[in-house]
Amino acid sequence: MTSRRSFLRKITYLVAIGVLLLPLFWLGRPATSSTSTGESSPGGILAQLRAEHRLSQADLGEIDPTSETIKLATLGLRGVAANVLWQKANGYKMKKDWTNLSATLEQLTKLEPHFIAVWRFQAWNLSYNVSAEFDDFRERYRWVIKGIEFLEKGVRLNEQSPRLLWDMGWFIAQKIGRADEHRQFRLLFKADDDFHGARPVERRDNWLVGKEWFARAERLVDQGASLGGMSPVIFYSDRAMSDMNYSEALEEDGIFGERARRSWDLAYRGWTEGPVPGDQVPFGMRDITTSFGDVIRLNDREKYEKTLEEMKARFEAITPGVRERIEQQRRARLTPAEREALDAEERTEQQHQLAAEAAIKLNVTYEDVANEMSGAEKSRALEMAKRLSETERITDLIRRYREIVNFEHWRRRAEFEQSDEALEARELIHEGNRAFAQAKLEEARENYDRGLQKWREVLDKFDGLIRDTGLGRDLMDVIIMYRRILDARDEPFPTDFVLQDVIDRHGHSAEGWMPYTDDAEEDQE
Amino acid sequence: MPIEYELPQIIEWLPGALVYWAAVVASLTAAGLLVGFLVAALERGPVVAVGKTLRTVQSGLADLVRISPRRVWALARLALKESIRRWIVVVFAVFILILLFAGWFLDPGSPEPGRLYLSFVLTATSYLVLLLALFLSAFSLPIDIRSRTLYTVVTKPVRPSEVVLGRIVGFAIIGTGLLVVMGAISYVFVIQGLSHSHTLVEEDLTSFGPVLEGQPRLFTGRTTRVNDHRHQVFVDSEGETHVEAERGHWHTLTVSGSEGDRRFEMGPPEGMLQARVPVYGKIRYRDRDGMDTREGINVGDEWMYRGYIQGMSPAALIWTFDNVTKERFPDGLSLEFLLGVFRTHKGDIETGVMGSLSVRNPVTGLIVEVEVFESKEFTANRLKVPATITKFATRDVVQQKIEAPTGVELIPSAADYNPTLAEQREFDLFDDLVADGKVELWIRCLEPGQYFGAAEPDLYLRAADASFLLNFVKGYFGIWLQMVLVVGFGVMFSTFLSGSVAMIATLGALVGGFFVQFMSDLATGNVHGGGPVEALVRLVKQENLLSDLDPGVGTTVVEMSDQVLQGGLWVMSSLLPSFGRFSYADYVAYGFDVSPQLLAIRTLTVVGFVLPTFMVGYFFLKTREVAR
Repeated sequence: MTSRRSFLRKITYLVAIGVLLLPLFWLGRPATSSTSTGESSPGGILAQLRAEHRLSQADLGEIDPTSETIKLATLGLRGVAANVLWQKANGYKMKKDWTNLSATLEQLTKLEPHFIAVWRFQAWNLSYNVSAEFDDFRERYRWVIKGIEFLEKGVRLNEQSPRLLWDMGWFIAQKIGRADEHRQFRLLFKADDDFHGARPVERRDNWLVGKEWFARAERLVDQGASLGGMSPVIFYSDRAMSDMNYSEALEEDGIFGERARRSWDLAYRGWTEGPVPGDQVPFGMRDITTSFGDVIRLNDREKYEKTLEEMKARFEAITPGVRERIEQQRRARLTPAEREALDAEERTEQQHQLAAEAAIKLNVTYEDVANEMSGAEKSRALEMAKRLSETERITDLIRRYREIVNFEHWRRRAEFEQSDEALEARELIHEGNRAFAQAKLEEARENYDRGLQKWREVLDKFDGLIRDTGLGRDLMDVIIMYRRILDARDEPFPTDFVLQDVIDRHGHSAEGWMPYTDDAEEDQE
Repeated sequence: MPIEYELPQIIEWLPGALVYWAAVVASLTAAGLLVGFLVAALERGPVVAVGKTLRTVQSGLADLVRISPRRVWALARLALKESIRRWIVVVFAVFILILLFAGWFLDPGSPEPGRLYLSFVLTATSYLVLLLALFLSAFSLPIDIRSRTLYTVVTKPVRPSEVVLGRIVGFAIIGTGLLVVMGAISYVFVIQGLSHSHTLVEEDLTSFGPVLEGQPRLFTGRTTRVNDHRHQVFVDSEGETHVEAERGHWHTLTVSGSEGDRRFEMGPPEGMLQARVPVYGKIRYRDRDGMDTREGINVGDEWMYRGYIQGMSPAALIWTFDNVTKERFPDGLSLEFLLGVFRTHKGDIETGVMGSLSVRNPVTGLIVEVEVFESKEFTANRLKVPATITKFATRDVVQQKIEAPTGVELIPSAADYNPTLAEQREFDLFDDLVADGKVELWIRCLEPGQYFGAAEPDLYLRAADASFLLNFVKGYFGIWLQMVLVVGFGVMFSTFLSGSVAMIATLGALVGGFFVQFMSDLATGNVHGGGPVEALVRLVKQENLLSDLDPGVGTTVVEMSDQVLQGGLWVMSSLLPSFGRFSYADYVAYGFDVSPQLLAIRTLTVVGFVLPTFMVGYFFLKTREVAR
């Protein structure tokens, strides 16, 4: 009796398990497609959701059997294991045990192959933090590349992550091109057959290779991948900036003339309005979604400003003198203290506050002006005021977004750098530096004199260029070097210096520039 | 290899360890007797309890003294058979499975693949063997008791002490057998895993250097890339070759054929698996004012293992070696060192920071700068001090300055200071620079604004290498010691706890043993964030570890609870073996010989733990009805 009951109980369990499996199977049945009959099934709800959100392994990237095995082997304790490994990795880094650090990172990423932050954080750790621990620059380079290769592995497993692709570009371009030892790194990078494989030698520049990755990231976003929390204006600027940086690097390497001009030309076109080769959309023409949800193009600022001026004029025409009248009324309502604060040339702290409050009170919006109108004019003015405010807001937004990426500086730079005068000026200064390094002071001075003269011509040719702080900083470095050459030759700094206006405008903020005092001039004499 | 705790000499260690051991064993015995007496006194009254306690001690001693090796062996064989039936096959299968797929997880392109492979096999083996020992020892007796097989055993003339000892011996034997097999397989796995070769063809080479009679003399090139690395090779027109070390190894390169049609053959990797026998000295630091200090400068490292010295100043890293004689080092001193380099300015990016090695006589103060070198960080630098020094950079007589309560003490003193010693043009290492077997090696940094750093084990004299195979065996011996400890604890707990509880208790002892140092720090208040309760409070309230808790009744209660718990932690940390210390995996992986001293100390420690666990196990089993 007992054994029979036990048998029946087991049978019941089995049947119950079978019954419960049915809805599970229905929910999770896989998608199928049949090429011969043309019939296909989208599968169960789970399969459909997986396909909709692109969550299946094949959608995310390459499938790594090792990783899958390890994940299974942790028996559901993957999170705990990853935490332990993370702690261990930190410990190994602290104790400078690089062998075990590499091995632990390898295991960590096997456990968490789709956790983007793990790839990003640890690749940064290898390329930036671990590499800096080494004294030998060749070892440092090796660890930079190790971090990049680590990231590349992450890219293979997470093909839908533009952030990893962008990081690849950033590491290759910026870490190699901006490090203290960037000259050495760039040379090692060019000679790194293992990294480049079949890439032609002339394409083995860190800025160009970085650009390839930025381009891949852009393409992915264009196909609909999410940027996550990254600012689109920063994201899209880097592909175009790579050409700028490449052009700069060419000149630093002593390559001028037509090659440099072509490079700056490409950079200019990529930054502004093209045309550019391939699928690249010029940066200035890119649709950029701002944090306020508006879609702007950086090239549109001038267009918006022009429209704004025209609209303002039309608005002024239908509301003649209204703004001034409102302003006068409001000014009359200010307290004497506020008026005094507004008019004061030098304000106390309290006056600053009062002046700010008064300025708010005096601010007359287009709507304020329109509301003063009456009849049919009022509704027309209100409509215009609304459009004016919106246009002004967008213009201001574009201006601010341009400032984030220093848009105008780079546009101007890429433009004037193509000129014969600028190319010659750069080359002459480069030759001057080379001569100075070889202690050929006479030659260095001659090259500098000619180079500075060429810079004068550049500044005269491009109106307003002297106001560019970036160029001002560059020129101050050149002037400081010129003074070192003169000092080495025991020669005084010329009183009628050809770039005196640059010193007057930018000298105060230049590091290492000490203006000559009268005493110093006397000493020189 | 970083060694973060001082390795004592066995002569210095043994007396203190014996006294400590005797005190702990005596305390535990006294506590056991007291508990036994109290239990008996509650049951039968104090007078009877005294007699009973004495009789228990007497019969216990008799049981221990009259242990029969024959019966122990018989019981050990029983344990052996049982083990073979139960777990061992599974563990062995898992081990083979791990090794089969290990290639997936081990990166032969890592900076030190040898170290990685050795660490892996030693760690995998130790985890598996310790787990096996844990299960076997914890479940064996309880299962026997439950299935009543133990009743059959105790009907035979065997003593409880023999039952316990038989189990320990039996499980130790099974573990030993398993370790031997695993060790052999691991050895083959490591050798196979690391084995590789590169190829080199004439086209890979380019000429460089001087040209003689229109013919280039020297050639250099890079081998094919295997296991994520290549080697730079140098070949001269005579067929002499040099292969640059990479990833901790190099290869032999032989050249055959005539010029223009040379064929190159590379041998297997060398230098990857070694067992260096280091002779360590005592380190001290000299600061930039020339004064001796115990510690170097901290350059901001979180890990304060290495002390740093300032470049282009009197500062130096100084190691003093004893027993340096002509007989031990007839060809002079071969030394290896690992330096930390810290730059406060970029300096010359393309060259390492320059440093120098000097040898100083600790008595006369004569110092000879024998070598100027370019630093290489995280790489073993190898230098040689010849027995007769004819080439040197500088020589001088430098006094050691020690801060003493009476002022600055000078060695040699002003009276003994003899600058003429430095006027020679040739120095004999043993006659001029070694005094009573003592010699000092100074490392100095020669560049201003740059720093060198080192810890005591970072520089050592290198005697002849020991056998790697033997060292590998020693590594497995370390696992064996851990295994015996686990068996001892497991059998002890299984005499009075049920199988699963005994396993958890043993696992607790094992895990606790790996964290003994942390427990000790926690008990003595050397850990930020207070004791266990305070840590829990901080965790829940999400408070940082350094700020004080708000004063009040709650905090007082927390602190008092911690004091009680810390007392318990202190007792635990004093009683548990520090399991991690028995592992020689780092020595084997880093290529250092495990010294006989270390082996002896650890073996004696294991004996010191196993004896009391056996005794405790025996007394518990004896008090159980089943064994009477």
